[in-house]
Amino acid sequence: MTTVPVRPPLVRSSDRVIAGVCSGLAVHLGWPVRMVRTGMVVAAFAGGAGLAFYGWLWIMVPTADENAKRNARRPASPIAPAVSLPPVGLQPGPAPAPSFGTVPFPHAAPPPAGEYDAGTAFQPPAPAAAPGSGTWFRIRSMRYGKEILLGAGLLLVAAILIARLLGVEVPLGTLIPAAAILGGAAIAWMQLDETRRAGLVDKTKADQAGGWARLAAGLALVVAGVLVMVSGSGSWQQTWLALLASVAVLGGVALVLLPWGLKFWRDLETERAGRVRETERAEIAAHLHDSVLQTLALIQRRAGNEHDVVRLARAQERELRGWLFKDPARDAGQLSDRIKAAAAEVEDGLGNAVDVVTVGDTEMTERHEALVQASREAMLNAARHGGGPVSVYLEVSDGGAEVFVKDRGPGFELHNVPHDRLGVRESIIGRMKRHGGNAAINSSPDGTEVRLRLPADVADNGEGKS
Amino acid sequence: MRVVIVDDHAIFRSGLKADLDPGVVVVGEAGTVEQAVEVIAAARPDVVLLDVHLPGGRGGGGREVITGSAALLGATRFLALSVSDAAEDVVAVIRAGARGYVTKTISGAEITDAVFRVAGGDAVFSPRLAGFVLDAFGTAPADIADDELDKLSARELEVMRLIARGYSYKEVAKELFISIKTVETHVSAVLRKLQLSSRHELTKWAAERRLL
Repeated sequence: MTTVPVRPPLVRSSDRVIAGVCSGLAVHLGWPVRMVRTGMVVAAFAGGAGLAFYGWLWIMVPTADENAKRNARRPASPIAPAVSLPPVGLQPGPAPAPSFGTVPFPHAAPPPAGEYDAGTAFQPPAPAAAPGSGTWFRIRSMRYGKEILLGAGLLLVAAILIARLLGVEVPLGTLIPAAAILGGAAIAWMQLDETRRAGLVDKTKADQAGGWARLAAGLALVVAGVLVMVSGSGSWQQTWLALLASVAVLGGVALVLLPWGLKFWRDLETERAGRVRETERAEIAAHLHDSVLQTLALIQRRAGNEHDVVRLARAQERELRGWLFKDPARDAGQLSDRIKAAAAEVEDGLGNAVDVVTVGDTEMTERHEALVQASREAMLNAARHGGGPVSVYLEVSDGGAEVFVKDRGPGFELHNVPHDRLGVRESIIGRMKRHGGNAAINSSPDGTEVRLRLPADVADNGEGKS
Repeated sequence: MRVVIVDDHAIFRSGLKADLDPGVVVVGEAGTVEQAVEVIAAARPDVVLLDVHLPGGRGGGGREVITGSAALLGATRFLALSVSDAAEDVVAVIRAGARGYVTKTISGAEITDAVFRVAGGDAVFSPRLAGFVLDAFGTAPADIADDELDKLSARELEVMRLIARGYSYKEVAKELFISIKTVETHVSAVLRKLQLSSRHELTKWAAERRLL
């Protein structure tokens, strides 16, 4: 069952003699077109079967264009996933269902529309049984299970009809109730899969109502079928009495089993919730052990060195904050993350507190990389020469990105910086200029502020958006 | 200056008490929401130093203390103190009525300064809070057509930007060639907008962070 052949979708081809049915079928089955056409003509002489089949396919099978449109519109169609798979060449895979290999028609039928058309005309229980039996027979891994089962049902009906025509006595009185029971059971059992899916996808009231209706319909069918079977051709009054009795029995059983079932269900829920909590607790404990406990131990050993203690505490605080307040919905690797990472690096290296405030954000580009590098250099200078805490502010707007790095050190004059010191001149001002931005340094005895500005690329207006 | 400290960590309360200026008298302490509402109603302090995260009550923390003391809001002012960086925590207490927000890591002198400022009716904005404000209101100045509450004026934006860049009120005043009093007026106006605005973007911004 695992080797379901991937077939090209059954569509009417544009390479056609009449309506493109034969060439479409040939592509779908992986047979030569000539063979399909010959077969169709031969079948046409066999009581017009070929003509009827051709006409039916003409009506039911969409053209390639229609099919593409339909798949685009409703990708959730039960068959769509199989149909929309990329056709893997035109290799003639093994027949989809070996037992029906000699009969190409049923599983070649186009899905939803064909189902109703084919089923209702012949035998009422069959279409009811078909949709659910996929689960019932545990063949859900088979993609065309429904279609194959429908085909099997139709073949069975055909066989019965032929047998009757040939004069063989078929016990219809037994067969029809049996089919009703099968159909009912299938409808009820279908639920298993449905509810599981509902729990996973979306548990809406409508789904539940549908589920209940299905259960009721299944029950009714099964009960009615059993009754007709047991009571033979009894009178309606008898049937009604029996029906009442069986419903009463069912109700009694449900009443007895319900509390037990509920308790079992609740225990299961509690246990599951407990396990989730336990996992969460273990994860938190592991994280705290790896981070906070280790840092606390380090702090105790370094208690004499104020500088180290502050640095350790800041680093740990930053790490814990990142863990606690991170927004999982946000993309990582944005400009603000990079600026924060640069600040953390400076903080770890030099021990000065570097506070980062960011407004807006943007994707990283090569030019932003330059901005981050220049900011890092500015932070290093601020921490090294300013001495105290450093304030970093990043603002990203449609116009571009700006970074301000401020310290409260004694300040400096740019023209007093020796010519061989390239930090400010090259790493900050030069770098920003090379990437179309600019850098300004405003220094006074109260502190220094470096202002880096990178305008949004004119050619690429989207990049500055936050 | 009479102050009540509300924080569930006794170590932090005693540390803060020792750090505060002698001019600030701590007249009460509380560690839970219920205690806080009770102590504040009894002591009627000038300023309440309020931790954002508090046990008790209905889980609303500092915000719940402010709503529980709503009758006193005119006479008693609230200054939020937090270790939390999360915008939802900070903006929630501001919108409940706190006059400012500072992080717990700032020095005793700075907290004392903030206490006096809040007691005088001004707002106290940390760089981070200014960042949140700019994020929420956007960095484009208001048009004349805009609702007054919905956007910041060009001047208010300038002030917020400078605070976010780490400028003190004094430095902001110097940079913009205005008096400290004018800076305080701008900051109070921003605080009022933050508390009263129901503009679409702010609501959306708050809703995304589960503030409303």
